[in-house]
Order: sequence, then C-alpha cells, then structure tokens
Amino acid sequence: MPTASMLLPTRDSRALLIKWIVGLLVPVMVFTFVWSGEAIINNVLLGLINPGSTALQGPVLIEAAIFIVVFYATVIALTGYLVAADSGRRRTIDLWIDIVVFTLVPLFLVINFGLVVGAALCAIIWPAYFFVRRRVRQARHYTPPPPLKNLEVSDAEQRAILMSRATTAGFWFAFAFAVVWLIVDLIYFFVGQLPTVLLIWVVIRTILLPIAGYFLGRLGGAVALRRTLAAKSNGSKSDGNVATNGVGRRVSKKRQLESLSTTRAREEAKDLVPNDLPLRSTGAQRFYLILIVAFVLFYPVLDPFLFGSGTAGRLAGYGDAGYYVILALGLNIVVGFAGLLDLGYVAFFAIGSYAWGIIGSTQLTNVLGQAPVNPHILSALFWPMLIVGALIAAFWGVLLGAPTLRLRGDYLAIVTLGFGEIVPIVFLELDKYSNGPNGIVGVQSPSFPGVDWSVITPVPYYYLILALIAFTIFANVRLRDSRLGRAWIAIREDEIAAASSGVNLVNTKLFAFGAGAFFSGIAGAYHAAKLGGVSPDNFSFGDSVIFLAMVVIGGIGSIPGVIVGALAVYAINQLLLAQLDSLATDPSNPLYAVHNAIVHFIPGFTFDNIRNLIFGIILVVIMIFRPEGLIPSARRRREFHAIEEDHEIEVGALDVVPGAPGFETEVRVE
Amino acid sequence: MNFTLLIQELVIGITTGAIYALIALGYTMVYGIIELINFAHGDIFMIGTFICITVFDQFGLTASSAPRGFSLIGLLLLTLLISMLICAVLGVVIERVAYRPLRNAPRLAPLISAIGVSLILEDVGKLWKGITIVSFPQVFPQITYYIGPVSFSSVDILVLVVAVILMVGLQWMVSYTRTGRAMRAVAQDREAAALMGVNVNRIIAITFFIGAALAGAAALIWGLKYGNTNFTLGFTLGLFAFTAAVLGGIGNLVGAMLGGVLIGVIEALAALIPDSSATGGFGLPHGGAAWHEAIIFVVLILILVFRPSGLLGQQTPEKV
Repeated sequence: MPTASMLLPTRDSRALLIKWIVGLLVPVMVFTFVWSGEAIINNVLLGLINPGSTALQGPVLIEAAIFIVVFYATVIALTGYLVAADSGRRRTIDLWIDIVVFTLVPLFLVINFGLVVGAALCAIIWPAYFFVRRRVRQARHYTPPPPLKNLEVSDAEQRAILMSRATTAGFWFAFAFAVVWLIVDLIYFFVGQLPTVLLIWVVIRTILLPIAGYFLGRLGGAVALRRTLAAKSNGSKSDGNVATNGVGRRVSKKRQLESLSTTRAREEAKDLVPNDLPLRSTGAQRFYLILIVAFVLFYPVLDPFLFGSGTAGRLAGYGDAGYYVILALGLNIVVGFAGLLDLGYVAFFAIGSYAWGIIGSTQLTNVLGQAPVNPHILSALFWPMLIVGALIAAFWGVLLGAPTLRLRGDYLAIVTLGFGEIVPIVFLELDKYSNGPNGIVGVQSPSFPGVDWSVITPVPYYYLILALIAFTIFANVRLRDSRLGRAWIAIREDEIAAASSGVNLVNTKLFAFGAGAFFSGIAGAYHAAKLGGVSPDNFSFGDSVIFLAMVVIGGIGSIPGVIVGALAVYAINQLLLAQLDSLATDPSNPLYAVHNAIVHFIPGFTFDNIRNLIFGIILVVIMIFRPEGLIPSARRRREFHAIEEDHEIEVGALDVVPGAPGFETEVRVE
Repeated sequence: MNFTLLIQELVIGITTGAIYALIALGYTMVYGIIELINFAHGDIFMIGTFICITVFDQFGLTASSAPRGFSLIGLLLLTLLISMLICAVLGVVIERVAYRPLRNAPRLAPLISAIGVSLILEDVGKLWKGITIVSFPQVFPQITYYIGPVSFSSVDILVLVVAVILMVGLQWMVSYTRTGRAMRAVAQDREAAALMGVNVNRIIAITFFIGAALAGAAALIWGLKYGNTNFTLGFTLGLFAFTAAVLGGIGNLVGAMLGGVLIGVIEALAALIPDSSATGGFGLPHGGAAWHEAIIFVVLILILVFRPSGLLGQQTPEKV
C-alpha cells in the first residue's frame, strides 16, 4: 500500500522526471532555437512593444501570439500529463529513441525539405523504424520492465502522488526550459544580437515560466486523473462495473451506456492511469490535437517564419492536398468502416466536380441558350452548390450502390470499378453538356463578402478547405460512433452475424455508399472552384487507386491514419517525386551523382520518367513494412499484432475476460 | 442491320476475346488461389509484348525478311517459349517479392502492393521502349480467306489455334496432373492442403508461373494480330481481362475463357452502334466505339445483378 512516506522525492519519481523532461525538452528546444520558434516570439514581442516596427501587426500579431502561448502551455501541460500517466514500462532509452524518431527526425526533415515533403519522408521512415524495432525486439527477446511499484490509482493517496508528480514535472520542465533560454539569450545579448528592449522580457519570462509550469503541470495531472478508471480486479466478471468506478464516484446513466459499447470500453481501457503507453494514450492525444489544431489554424501566419518566402505557393499546394484528405475520409467510410471495396470512387468526385463546373460556368447558359441566373450572383451560388453537389453525388452513390447489394467481395470491387470507368466516359462523350475532352473552363470561384478569392491569394482557399476538412472529420467521427457506424463495422466484420443481429444490410450498405459519395461531392465542388475548371482527364482509374492507396497506407478505418495517409501519398506523389529532377540539377545534392551515373547508361534519362516506378516501389515497401497502415485503428492493431510487440505490455489488468464485450475481437484469428 | 457485318464483327470479337481470355486466365488462377486481384498481371502481358519485339529484332525478323514455312513456325515457337518463360519468371519473382511477405496481412495490403508493382512495370516498359506506340514486324503472312462474304485472315486462325491449345492444355493440367490437383486443393482450403502435405508456397509460385506464362503467350499472338503495343497496353487490356474473369465467375477457368470471348464480342458489336448525331436519333454521341468500355461495364453490371457470382461461378451458399 502506498503510504505518505512515498510522497516525493522517491527514486522512481526522479527517474520519471528526468526521463520525460529531457525527452520533451530536446524537441522543444530544437523548435525554439534551431528552427523559428524564437523568431516568432521576438517578432510578436517587438510588435507589442513598439507597433509599426515589424511586419507583424493587427490580427496577424494576435494570431501569432495566441499560437505561441497555446503551443508552450500545451507542451508544459503535456509533460505533467505524461509523468502522471506513465507506469514506467517503457525504458528511458527506448522512450528517448521513440521521441527522437517521432519529433526530431520530422523536425529536421521538415526544416530541410519543407512541410509536406518532410511529412512524406516520415511516412517512409516510420514504417521502416517500426519494422526494424519489431525485428530487434524479437531477436533480443525483449521484455518490458515491470511497472512502477504500487501503481494502482484506487485511492486518494495514490492520486495525490500522481498529482504531485505532475506538478513537479510541469515546474521542473518549465524551469529547465527557462534556464536554457536565459543562457541562450544572454549569449545572444553579449554577442549583441538581442535588442536591449527584450531584456525586460527575458527577466519576466524567466520568473513567469516556472510559475506557469507549476499550474500547467497541475492541469496536466488533473487531465490524467480525470481519465482515471478503477483498476479492474483480474479474472472476475466485473466488466459491467467498468462504469461504476471503484473510487466510488457517481456515474451517470449515459456513461454506463457508453461503457457498454465495445469500442468505448476499449478506448477507455487504454486510458487507465498509469498507462503503459503514455505517448499513445487518448489523454495525450488530446494534447497533440490542441497542438495540431493551433498549428494548422495559424499556419498562414507562421509560414513566413518557418519556411521563408513563397508562402502563397505553399498555401495553394496545401489547398490542393486538402481535397485529397476529404476524398480519403469519404472513401474510408465505404472501405474502412463498411468494408466494401470501392475501386471506382473517382466517379463521385467527377460528379461533384461537374456539378459545380456546369452550374458555375457559362456551360449551362450555352446548353439552355439563356442564362438561368444572374451572372453576378453566380459565384455566391457556390455555397448552396457545395451541399447540392454533395447531395447529387450521394444520390448517385446510392443509385450505383443498389446493384451491388447482392455482390460479395471482389465482385463488388469490379462493379464499382466499372462505374468508375463509365462515369468519366459519359462526361467525355456527352459533350453537349460537359464540353467533352476540352473540359469546362472559366468555373467561378466562390464569393464571400469581404474576402478576395483571386488566384494570387490562396489564404481564403486554405481556410475554406480547412473548414471543409473539419466538417468532414467531425461528420466521420460522429458517423463512426453512431448506431449506423456500429452497423457498418458489424457488416464489415461479419455480414451474416450482423444481419442476424438485426442490422438492415440494404439500408446500411446504401448509406455507406451515399455517405462516402457525399464527401467526394464536396471535394469535387471545391476542386472545380479552386482549379477554375474541370478536365475529364482528372478522373481515371489511376486516381481511384491513389485514393484507395491513401486509405490503406494510412490505416484502414482509422480517421487520423487516413488523414496522414492522404497527406503522405499526396506529398510523395505530387511533391517529392516531382521535385527529383530539379534536385538532381544541384551539384551539392547526392541525387546529382546518381542522376549522372544513370544518364551514363540511359541517355536522356530524367527522374520524371521513373516517377511511377519510384512511387510503386514506395507503395510496395510501405505495405511490406507496415501492412496495417501508418496509424491503424485500435481494433485492427489488436487483430494484427495480437501476439507481438506492444501488446504484451498493453494494460494487462484490462485484458478482456471471456464473455466481456470485446472478447471476441481479441481472440479472433485471421 | 446488316447480317454479314454482324457475323464479321463476331469473328473479330472472338479472336480478340481469345486473347482476353488468355490474360483472364492468369487473373482468375491467381484470384482462385490467393484471392488477390493481381493488378500487375496486365503489365506482365505488356512486358511480354516488348520481349517479343526484342526477340524479333535479335532474330532479324522483319516483314520482308521473314522466312516462310517451317522455319518461320520454328522461330515463332522459339519466341513464344522465350516470351512465356521470361514472363513466367517475372511473375514468380513478383509473387516472391511483393505478395508472399503479405500472405497473412489484411486483405487490402497485397492489393496496394499489386498496384505498386503495376506502376513499377509500366515505368520499366516506358524506360525500355519509350512512350510512343511500338510496332511489331508483320512476320506472319496475312492471307485473307472468305466464307461467303465473311472474311478472316490466317493470323486469326493462328490466334485461335494457339489460344485453344493453351487453354485445353491448362484445363488438362489442372484437372488431371498431380500439380493441378494440388492447385485445386490450395484454392479450396490452404491450411487443409498444407496439412495434407502440399507445399503451399510452391503451388502458389507455380500458379503465378503458369498465369504469367499464358500472358507471355497472349503477348506474342497480340503482336501478330494487332501489330503494335505501348507501355499502357497492359493496363487497358488488363482491365478488360479482369472484367472477363469476373464475368465468367472468378476462379473458374472455363468461365474466364467464356468471359474473354464474350467481352471481345461485345466490344466488336459496340462498334456497330451508330453515331446519334449522324442518324439524328438512334445511337450514341460519337458512335458506339467511343462508348465500348462503358458498354462492356454496363453489360458486366447487368450480368452480375442477375448472377452475382458471374456466368459460371458457383453460387456458394453463405456459411456461418
């Protein structure tokens, strides 16, 4: 039993603190000092001290300031959370290697190659790392160290210990950071690069950071404890008691019902404090989410500091990457949730594109012989058409889904493939409406009062796609957790069992096709507006395959995975491989020598010629290294590595007992 | 409707369909045994056409210098064997590198891997022969025969002879040899077959070997019949061949042959649909030939709606 004498400082606590503070401080310092963190801060400060002196003014200044505050506060609170949530079953050195691979490596890649290409390289490096780590562990018969002693969050005393650990962690993390920062700034000051005005800030900051650290650490600890469940007594049939917390808290009816759902129970099981995999716990994921949202939301402001000039071009590129994310998320509903292999998803994308393409250009006027609406308000029609186009696509999704209802497995795939081929042919040949092979040009961009949507200002498109992605993610999460979503997952796992449990197969499948097509309709309308035109060449079987690759590489059925997969495949395919030739012209680049060597054998060789070859190799390699995808869904991860690596150390106390809701998926053998 | 034209299109359809069927066999065999849509198969066929062209070049065979009689037959047979052998080895290597490590992976992982291999092979083809259309030397004498008003050429006969021999041979092998029996056993239940002493990995490799060899054979007769190829050919024909395999009932050899011929015939008949702007009503814009792909898929969908397991596929009752 934990006693009061176990309160700080114990050896365990000190080890934990060093482990996490060093682990997190290094990437934060790299971001701040090596990259552009400090430049942003200094610009914000200078903007605040004497307005008009720097480029940062008005809303931009406020946005940058908010980002800075949110970023550092979140990191400090995260430290507190991680220390409180860690059960000590990862060795310090393992953890540090993980942190290097997952933060420092991406940081360096992003600094050197830009955001998207860096992310793409990570998508190649990470699977290889996982693969190697698994092999090494197998070879060395790795066994995780035992958990820290007396770690069962069951009584007030233990909670107090965790809380004090979190508080100390926050404090010391902030303190260490403040000290390092002070030293760095002093060096800058004596070199003469730090404006004297900022000295006041240095003093304030050095005092303020540890205080803030104390409270943010508490916050992190509180988050960890709030997600606490009682440790389950092993073996007893207490799964119904997951909801009735052992601490004796009153639990609402809603929460009890939630706990009955297998997925929920599984999700919550991962969050037992202390956690064996703190970096992957859902509590930590909340913090990552805050970081990512802050970064993405304020990105247009940060970009000039992070990557220098050329912001407009990069933002336009991200606007393009965005609709792939929506498409991948939409396809994920059909393939990932409902398990219906769709090889013709591009058809609905085409329908959505042409929906806005025909309405939003002079095409309809040409067909009807007169303008149906006042041309001046045409661009404002984009907003209703976004929904209408999506609904049209969804309608076709249901319609085309209907004949496939009786089909199973790959017969379904070939029929959807057929639709994917038919629809572009229809658009290509019905040139009266679609302008045939020339495509539609002069499609209106959206209009919104007070916003300039011209091509040179990609910021509105960036925020538009951000909003659309946010909506898509929200809808996906809600759909997945809804009754309908559970029905999809049920028919994916076993159609007959689902049908006999009362799932209406016809409706459920049609809804899956409809919902998937709906989002591709949104993406299509955006695509047509952003591009200012629609070309029938953009909708080939190859595109369907790319969308499918995004879903599978990301991790089928997993929403964060699919987003990462979409960005990674887009970056590899559209950015990384497209840049190879220009990289090879630079003599300092290693590719230069490679290129010269190949040209020696194959005259006139360019990397553009072997783009698909490299892309194909990357696809095969990623699949071999990580067949379950970059970020597999929790369910699939369990199925796939049930006997290997992390699972032996996944919260042992919560292993599902026979008869419990999650039992079957656990013992399932593929 | 001109009846002679119909018969003529049928003849064209059957010869094209025979080639589709040969390729479809590779799809259906692989699918039958490991339930994988081998997207790379069409590209193996494309590589096969390039191999045939290269071999012709090596032999110095051109349309004018080609020998006649038995020496021509001998040279063609040799080309056929080389093409089949290289394709077959290619198929086995692909299986070993890209599919075998994923044998127990989730179902879609090998599919993506197959797509990756397909992209790789396409670019290999592009590097090898460039992006333009490559023409075959017309070494086989084109003699046109007539039965009534319907014409067919000596090449058509060659195509049908080669295709039929290979199909009958395959059917015999699968039905009566020890290896064929093992293949059927693995297709039925891999684990049970392994327990009965079948070397599953070897049988799967043999399946890829045979399937790819048939694609290599199809490559030669395609070249003799149509006289040109391109690095994207594998994709187009692969799509049709896969459709043929599904149409006939995937996993079913006779079904694949039937499906191939059917697709060839539909494609040929689609060309008969007139241009609606010319006839002013009946027909499709730009004529049926522009729509042939859409028509094939519409027919496929209609057939699958009424026979969800394809024409000859077994309607297996769902087991719990």
